Amino acid sequence: MANGEILAPVSGSVWKIECTEGQAVSEGDTLMILESMKMEIPVEAPVSGTIASLTVKEGDPVEEDAVLGVVTT
Amino acid sequence: MSIMESSDERNLVELDELSRREAWARGMGGPEKLRRRAEQGLLNARERVDCLLDAGSFRESGLLGVSSMVDADREKTPADGKVTGYGKVDGRRVAVVSNDFTVKGASSSMTNMRKIGHVKRVATERGMPIVWLGESSGARMPDNMGARGMGTLLGNDPMQYVRDRQTPWASAVLGQCFGSSAWYSCLSDFTVMRKGAVLAVASHGLASLAIGQKVEPEDLGGWQLHSEKTGMVDRVVETDEEAVEEIKTFLSYLPSHCNEAPPRTEAPDEESETLRANRERLKRIVPESRRQGYDARKVIEAVADPDSFFEFKPKFGRVAATGLARMGGRTVGFVANNPMFKAGALDVDACEKITRFVVMCDSFNVPLILLVDTPGFIIGIEGERRKAPGKIMNFMAAIQLCTVPKLSIILRKSYGQAYLNMGGGRNSDEVAAWPSAEVSFMDPAYSVDVVTWDRNVDEDEREALRRVMERDAGVYGLAEINAVQTVLRPENTRDYLLEMLDIHTARLSKGIGRHRMANWPTTF
Repeated sequence: MANGEILAPVSGSVWKIECTEGQAVSEGDTLMILESMKMEIPVEAPVSGTIASLTVKEGDPVEEDAVLGVVTT
Repeated sequence: MSIMESSDERNLVELDELSRREAWARGMGGPEKLRRRAEQGLLNARERVDCLLDAGSFRESGLLGVSSMVDADREKTPADGKVTGYGKVDGRRVAVVSNDFTVKGASSSMTNMRKIGHVKRVATERGMPIVWLGESSGARMPDNMGARGMGTLLGNDPMQYVRDRQTPWASAVLGQCFGSSAWYSCLSDFTVMRKGAVLAVASHGLASLAIGQKVEPEDLGGWQLHSEKTGMVDRVVETDEEAVEEIKTFLSYLPSHCNEAPPRTEAPDEESETLRANRERLKRIVPESRRQGYDARKVIEAVADPDSFFEFKPKFGRVAATGLARMGGRTVGFVANNPMFKAGALDVDACEKITRFVVMCDSFNVPLILLVDTPGFIIGIEGERRKAPGKIMNFMAAIQLCTVPKLSIILRKSYGQAYLNMGGGRNSDEVAAWPSAEVSFMDPAYSVDVVTWDRNVDEDEREALRRVMERDAGVYGLAEINAVQTVLRPENTRDYLLEMLDIHTARLSKGIGRHRMANWPTTF
């Protein structure tokens, strides 16, 4: 994923955000955790880079494939 | 004039006639119709064949066929709208049927049905896969109308839609697919669909007429419907060229027919950087906590040969992932519960998807690897309305009838009937478990609720019951009674599977199974 968009892998709600804007991350790092069907689903960094923005906060409902933020390389 | 000269002259005249007929047949529906297709970015029937087959390998059959029912159509039906023949894909023989929509919408008529019947018989009897490049409008009219049409054409081949899986079938849905293109797509082992194409019983026009309201083609049979709701399409692509590529990829995993083992490719270097990293990755993908989800496809990708996982129906029945892959260069089929979706609890769609996949693997001698992490089957009204018990038993019967090697690995949860369906006990040839595995009839927390249902039970008694229910659920309980033969560290999973595939190779039959489900349906 060259554009670095952080996408919701499933529909659910944002349970925990484990990164902050400006933070350096590596591809595959867990950035946040969604809750879906009583399961915790990790959201991973699509690429290595810096978190440019986060567009959700804890508790927000999200649809599958929604953009949760952007990682710039 | 000598006899010699006279004979030469006659040959020339005949050759001219042959060349003229061949060129006309290859011209399809004429330059204008072909140009309009090209402008839409669509390949024509012959370009699709060229794209599929190794260069220069197409041996056409039935080139000079034309419509034979309606006299006036003889001059309007080059190759009678269906291009058929034989060729090679990556050096291996296949038969191909490519529908030419520029000739009467590739509708079915007497000659082209005979053409299809011919290559289908040859492919089946001589052991070649068939590739169906679909785009057709349905039965040709008036040819098929009335007693003569029905009595002499449509009902005249008692084997026409028999699918006995003697050889693999792969289909591409590349335009409007009604009638025969729809039927052959559904009967295939693999179906890829181009976005914008439509797969349905009849056209949206006819459907609109029949029910008296406007029906949109995408609603009737578009890619989203078939990749997400019906599961009748395995993969979706953007272009004709991509669709053909997907068919070639699919065929690369399969044998040419049911009586040979799948082809083997060169095994990757086990000491390579990628495989070393993948082994390490396996330690981290599956979280210990039962509440934490993960994508089971990552486990498959880390276990299989790098970049070899070819997923089937990624958007349908997603609580389970299915797909072909390679292990040490040999083809395998993976079935994995996917805790990323609904905790990996098996639903009706997943049962259908797995059943169909297992039947295909078994029919073409592809060993199965089951990766288990499921709290069981989803229970509830919706599932029951959709015949959940029947679907679960189709899946179960398929697993038990399988004669290809079956290797099951319990990664985490395996509860209830789903334990059997996913190869638990003696339902696979070999069962292994990761240390994180736990097996029981149901989640211990729920089991306490079940046995105390409608009773007043204090917390001490509940706690005591919970301890009883949790007893023996762990991996070592399973190992002690040989319900799993191996407890496996995650990082050793690939090495274990490589060796088990070798051990369980069906030597007595040279890798050929018994194919007891070869004539099972293709849709469940």
